[in-house]
Amino acid sequence: MNSNKVEPRRLSLRERISKSWFPPAGVAGAFTAFVPAAHGARPDPQPASPTAEPAASPAAGQAGEPARASRRLEREYALIAVLGAKSAALPFHHSLLGIAVGAGDSIYALGDDEVRVYDSGGNVVRRWKTIARAGCIAAGPDGRVLVGAGNLVEICDAGGSRVGGFAAGDATKPARITSIKAYGKEILVADADARIIRRYDTNGRQLGLIGNQNKTGSFILPNKSLDFDVDAQGVVRATDTGRHQVTAWTIAGSPLGKFGRFGMTNPEDFVGCCNPVNLANAPDGRIVTAEKMISRVKVYEPDGKLLAVIGPENFDPNCIHIHLAVDSKGRILAADPVRREIRIFSLVARKGNEPTGELHPSAHGKLEEVTRG
Amino acid sequence: MSEKSTRRQFIDRSCRILGFAAIGGAAGLLSHRASSNAVYQVDPGKCTACDLCRTSCVLSLSAVKAVNQFDKCGYCMLCPAYFDISSAPNEKAIPSGKVCPQDALKRRVVGRVDEEDPNNNYYEYTIDETLCDGCGKCVKACKPPMGNGSLRLEIRYARCVECNECAIQIACPDRAIVRIPVPGLSPAVGAKEDKHA
Repeated sequence: MNSNKVEPRRLSLRERISKSWFPPAGVAGAFTAFVPAAHGARPDPQPASPTAEPAASPAAGQAGEPARASRRLEREYALIAVLGAKSAALPFHHSLLGIAVGAGDSIYALGDDEVRVYDSGGNVVRRWKTIARAGCIAAGPDGRVLVGAGNLVEICDAGGSRVGGFAAGDATKPARITSIKAYGKEILVADADARIIRRYDTNGRQLGLIGNQNKTGSFILPNKSLDFDVDAQGVVRATDTGRHQVTAWTIAGSPLGKFGRFGMTNPEDFVGCCNPVNLANAPDGRIVTAEKMISRVKVYEPDGKLLAVIGPENFDPNCIHIHLAVDSKGRILAADPVRREIRIFSLVARKGNEPTGELHPSAHGKLEEVTRG
Repeated sequence: MSEKSTRRQFIDRSCRILGFAAIGGAAGLLSHRASSNAVYQVDPGKCTACDLCRTSCVLSLSAVKAVNQFDKCGYCMLCPAYFDISSAPNEKAIPSGKVCPQDALKRRVVGRVDEEDPNNNYYEYTIDETLCDGCGKCVKACKPPMGNGSLRLEIRYARCVECNECAIQIACPDRAIVRIPVPGLSPAVGAKEDKHA
């Protein structure tokens, strides 16, 4: 029988978690309360007009404080620019599937069946059509651009001309590439069907496997997607979403360590069935992760200590991926595939333990001034 | 001398013809519908798992059941459709609550079993249809971005009594109950297990 009893609206899971982590006014409210009014803090976490131009200039701290985007932890990040948004000169109309940072902090975005190259000022300087079913992108320090599409790897030069390519996977079981990275002359691809990372040379000869030296012989991927990054020392960090962990491996495939666990209340933990879904290494050794269900980006120490949270108000709640990249200045580039825009976050400066209300000097290109904590 | 029909006769004759045509058309439509091999089914693209399938079906235990699509399922250890992941964790850091109020969603380990660390196991989730009442709570919890969206609601033909007008179809706010032709389906859809409530 139907009951006509009116019950108070039950909060959704997302609302309950959000309320338990953040004050009622949300993250922006927390910072508005935290930063003295004289600093002119802007409660709106969004930039006034999302354009391809950076929203914050060196004078941002004087004209009006940049919108703060992260929870008050050891580090804080502010949204400084949005690329490819609907209001931009060249928006992403259909898709935004990947992002990478190349030499000179050029930004490579994969979307709308093409590769777009932005300069460090956020202007599109090159674009070219890519192969069908392209799903991930990487940029090597030598200017090579790698695109993964199904089981195929396409190698292009900096101008977009195809210079090579190969099919990844076993002869009987082709790979399903969900992430790709360049390491020296090697090409690493995440094979989500085999649930391992494969190492190749540029001719497509397999050099080894990463991720098979554990109890199950593979990652556990309920979300059927594997993401990873490799740093200059050859440390590969990968998402083990079913175990709610970030795992670290040597380039030869030996396990180095892991951190992370499931949890719905502590921001250090990873929520839901399978997280983190995306990952990127920062140049200072920190690890940036992205989660679904609660769409958010977090920054960790290599040992798993949480440094910053860029909260869910910055991303579409229906994201099942937030593609990540970090430039040489430590700025976090997060590609929201639902809103189809690239959001760039920069570190907020601190004086002692207190944020000054201005962007960290690293946002303006002074990498040497990046401080820890 | 030919008789010229009056206007009244003309209208009378026209009305009769139209009436017969309407009756014939309606009869044809009904007989076609009665003999056609079509069934009611849930369109998963429109379904929002609003719980009306449970309350609107004329059967005491709804003919709508949750179904797991295994090729989409992640075989999660922490399935958001099985565990109420916002409930307090137990001593093993696993949520203590379950989503299904009927406990109709069952799970078992498949493949190699690691008893020390459950995170290393794959779990297969199936629905006990004798318990499932079609409330759709698991379906809602499995929808992306929380899960893979492998669970969906489906009308089970063995239980559906093929009402002339499906009560769930009338109640559904999302027009998710559609009538679809099934070539080769026997008019006697299946053994009707339940009587009308």
